[in-house]
Amino acid sequence: MKKIIPLLISFCLLSPLYASICDNTKELGKLPIQQNGRTKPLLVHSKEMIRFLTGKSSIKFQGNKIDAVTAYCRLSLGTPSGDPLISGILARTDHIEVQKLLEVDSKTVPFVDLQDEIQKIRMALFKIKEENPYKKALKKLLNQTALFKDITAGNNWLTYSGGNWLPIRSVANNGTNDELNLLKSNAIDLKKSEKTTFELEYTFAKAHLPSWALVTSLLALAFLTLFKKFNLALGFAFITVILESLILIFRIYISGRAPITNMYETVMFSGYGALVLALVLGHFKKDKTYVYMGLCYNMMTLMMMNFATSMLSSSISPLVPVLRDNFWLSTHVTMIILSYGALALSWILANTVLLKKRFSTISSEDNRYYNDLMYTCLKYGTVMLGAGILLGGVWADYSWGRFWGWDPKETWSLIAFCLYMAILHGKYTSWISPKLFVPLVASAFMSIMMAWFGVNYILASGLHSYGFSAGGAVFLGTFFTLQILIIIITSEKFSFPKKAS
Amino acid sequence: MKFAVILLILFALGMIIGTLLESYYGTDFANRLVYKTPAFFLIQFLMFVSIIVAALRRMPPKKRLYGFYVVHTGLVLLGAGGFITWHSGVDGQIHLPPNSPSREIILDDDILKIKYDDRSSYVDYNLPYTPFAKEINNNFENIKLKRYYPFAENKFKWLPAKKNYNTQTDLHSSKYFISNPQVSEEFTLSLHPESVDFQSSVSLGPLSIHYLPESISSCFTKNSPSKLVFWNQNRRECFTPESRNLEIRKTNSGKRFIVFKESGMVLTFFPDHSPWPMDSTLKNINQNSPIRLFNHSLFEKAPHLFLFGRKVAYYDKDEEKWTGEDIKIGGSVELPWMGFEISLSDHRITDVPSYVPEKTIPIQQNSQLIKGNLRALELEVEGQSFWVTNQRPMKLLINGQPVAFYLTKRTLTLPFEFVLTKFNMDKDPGTNNPASYESFVKLFTSDGPSDHHIFMNNPLKHEKFTFYQASYSQDQNGNYSSTLSANYDPGRFFKYAGSLLLFIGSIAHYLLNKKRYQQKFGKDNKPILRENIV
Repeated sequence: MKKIIPLLISFCLLSPLYASICDNTKELGKLPIQQNGRTKPLLVHSKEMIRFLTGKSSIKFQGNKIDAVTAYCRLSLGTPSGDPLISGILARTDHIEVQKLLEVDSKTVPFVDLQDEIQKIRMALFKIKEENPYKKALKKLLNQTALFKDITAGNNWLTYSGGNWLPIRSVANNGTNDELNLLKSNAIDLKKSEKTTFELEYTFAKAHLPSWALVTSLLALAFLTLFKKFNLALGFAFITVILESLILIFRIYISGRAPITNMYETVMFSGYGALVLALVLGHFKKDKTYVYMGLCYNMMTLMMMNFATSMLSSSISPLVPVLRDNFWLSTHVTMIILSYGALALSWILANTVLLKKRFSTISSEDNRYYNDLMYTCLKYGTVMLGAGILLGGVWADYSWGRFWGWDPKETWSLIAFCLYMAILHGKYTSWISPKLFVPLVASAFMSIMMAWFGVNYILASGLHSYGFSAGGAVFLGTFFTLQILIIIITSEKFSFPKKAS
Repeated sequence: MKFAVILLILFALGMIIGTLLESYYGTDFANRLVYKTPAFFLIQFLMFVSIIVAALRRMPPKKRLYGFYVVHTGLVLLGAGGFITWHSGVDGQIHLPPNSPSREIILDDDILKIKYDDRSSYVDYNLPYTPFAKEINNNFENIKLKRYYPFAENKFKWLPAKKNYNTQTDLHSSKYFISNPQVSEEFTLSLHPESVDFQSSVSLGPLSIHYLPESISSCFTKNSPSKLVFWNQNRRECFTPESRNLEIRKTNSGKRFIVFKESGMVLTFFPDHSPWPMDSTLKNINQNSPIRLFNHSLFEKAPHLFLFGRKVAYYDKDEEKWTGEDIKIGGSVELPWMGFEISLSDHRITDVPSYVPEKTIPIQQNSQLIKGNLRALELEVEGQSFWVTNQRPMKLLINGQPVAFYLTKRTLTLPFEFVLTKFNMDKDPGTNNPASYESFVKLFTSDGPSDHHIFMNNPLKHEKFTFYQASYSQDQNGNYSSTLSANYDPGRFFKYAGSLLLFIGSIAHYLLNKKRYQQKFGKDNKPILRENIV
């Protein structure tokens, strides 16, 4: 009872204290906002902002769950004395050195308290010359605090008003319903004056297509492997393809460019491409194995899109100047990403065969057949990779004046290409025995992962600086460890205590 | 075939090492250590040979290998194209400051440029393309090139003076540390004639700092009514006009002047215009005069800090008077501006503060070198050693003739000239991120001038060169300079042809093999609906 009374009192006090329009999540979420050079719905923007501040897309406060739009609105319109939520947004201070600097011993600190420490953090940051996890933590904290300050000052929320984008407080300061209506009519003005996509983007964000695609992909895989209902599996696979096509179309329409410009989009596109390729090949070759490979890989990419949000950001942002060429972007990058997809199919099959051989049995005829299948995928993948590299060379020549420049991304794709070429040539001459072929195919995909993610997440920040703090480095490290583990436990020399090989 | 596989793996290994090195030590270092070394070229050459041999061994032509031949021809063309580019291509950058002509393409090779004043010509000496420090020990006329550091860092050192000086002259140098809660900075000031890296004045934001001989300091705190102080460098003494009863007079136009007579010399000073005296004709300013006149009132409006080694003087606006304080090594003095405090970290009477290059291994972060951004070459002339760096050229007297040394990159002079007339940058709405940038240039050729517009993905082709918009920079006044990458690639045709052949060849190869496969096994001889795997 003692605990409840203050809670009740604070609840009674709380309701009139913050701007009342903020509870109007649905209406607010549809409003246009301009940030990072793009007009988008408030729903999308507030989710990105709240996630950047707290790591989650909603806020837990005094036992209640507050959605991102309401939280963002209350932060933008409220004052620390008026709305207790502002003091309730907590920054994570996990790093022990950060705690020492701020003279706190808890793992969270209200951002409100950090606002006055910005200078101190900046000074500390200035003094660290070497890139290390502490510096990274400080940088993040500094950016978060600056953003928090920006939001609570009402400057982050730029709203359309009479042809200009103005901070919210110069348009709506009291949070009355009249002001909400004004914001809504301003949004209609914006729609009239220029072509916008924020309403479409709202619908897109509300539909949660990636989550649905993951569900259908999982169902398809379950029907294929567990319940052996091939037709149902195929049906769900098609639904997945349709859902992913929708995502792609939405993103193309919203951004006005090929949907292959950041990690999130490349991951999705490779999963999508691999599934489509697998369905087509499976249909013509009358073979379910392709469907299995495609679904397996597709499910993995959807998992990454839905759960690895710290590594893959789904936000749509403007491109750097050199990429603003839709023709080259779509041909070169699509080719590369499709080749990754095709090679991923071979990787899935190789690992399946390896595990199956170890824990179950495979007839020698099947084994040979699967090897042929992998070889086919490899051929398609490698040719596409080669074509993608050459197209990249031509594009680089066209816009930078050089065909080849030993840039890490270029170099790693060439490394992957060389390794796959070595495998293809070795296999062609039977120099690589069928026994060796499968583990080689499985491990060669590590070079693709390196070219795809490693260059961005490990090499770009400098080898010495990642300290396994960044999501991408952890992901890649886990991937490499798992892959090497699979190779080791399935190798003939390795034997489990129980079962001798 | 085995040989080819081994080469492929070696090549891949080399590249893996290259990318790892690059991520830590930077692009240039990786190029010098891996990508542009003879060993790496050898691997590429052997691959080239093995591709040709592989094709020759499958002669005479067989129909099923047509695709294979085309693919290998494509590869050979690609290799040849790469070689031609490397051998006779040009790849450099041209920097265009606003409204001034440029025609030099900066290339990648390190050179020492020697300019003799009397010969009015340049001599270029090629420096080794190496990742590490290298002893050269080569003589060029009477100049000895000792060692070259492709990546170096400036290290602060107190060096003994090379010449002997009269003990009566002020040569001292000091190292100070100035800070307030927001900023801190270390700086070194010197009066030594041999000091090239450090001057006698520095400005930190709005604050100007002047370094003067210690013997003048006593006069700065004399609050004379005229606010003028005479300084006799030879005698190391200072005095106010009042103390010598020198009359301050005014010209017809109201300008203050003082006439100072000593041992037959007549010097006329206009203290509101110059610290130097006019000669007796009243036409020329004599900048070699040992006697100068300081006008205090010039330094009272904006913040000026006067340092004299172990003494400090400044004008305190609140108390409206000049204040002087002593400062010991390790001690500090509070200043009247924004909570600033100055401390003296070191003080030397005759030593010369210098930056001496030390070799290092570069470190790159966020695609910029944060360490090793200096190239340095040690020369020996007439028994004395000197360092030339890319940041600091050097001038020496050799046999009485001035000779200048520059450590730069090789340049190529174009037969035509560029002027940047306008530079445009569009930003993404509401941000500072560039959305596009474009240069408007005027091209001056023998056929007369012409206007061109260069932007991303829209290069300018002129004669055999192609110019691409590469990057830009902005100076303190907000003026944009544009950097174009300039390129001449005679191997381009081969590379494009090779790419095309590769593409056609690989498709042909699969089509031919598919036919063969089907002929061999029959069209339907395929395992159907295999479910065991799933």
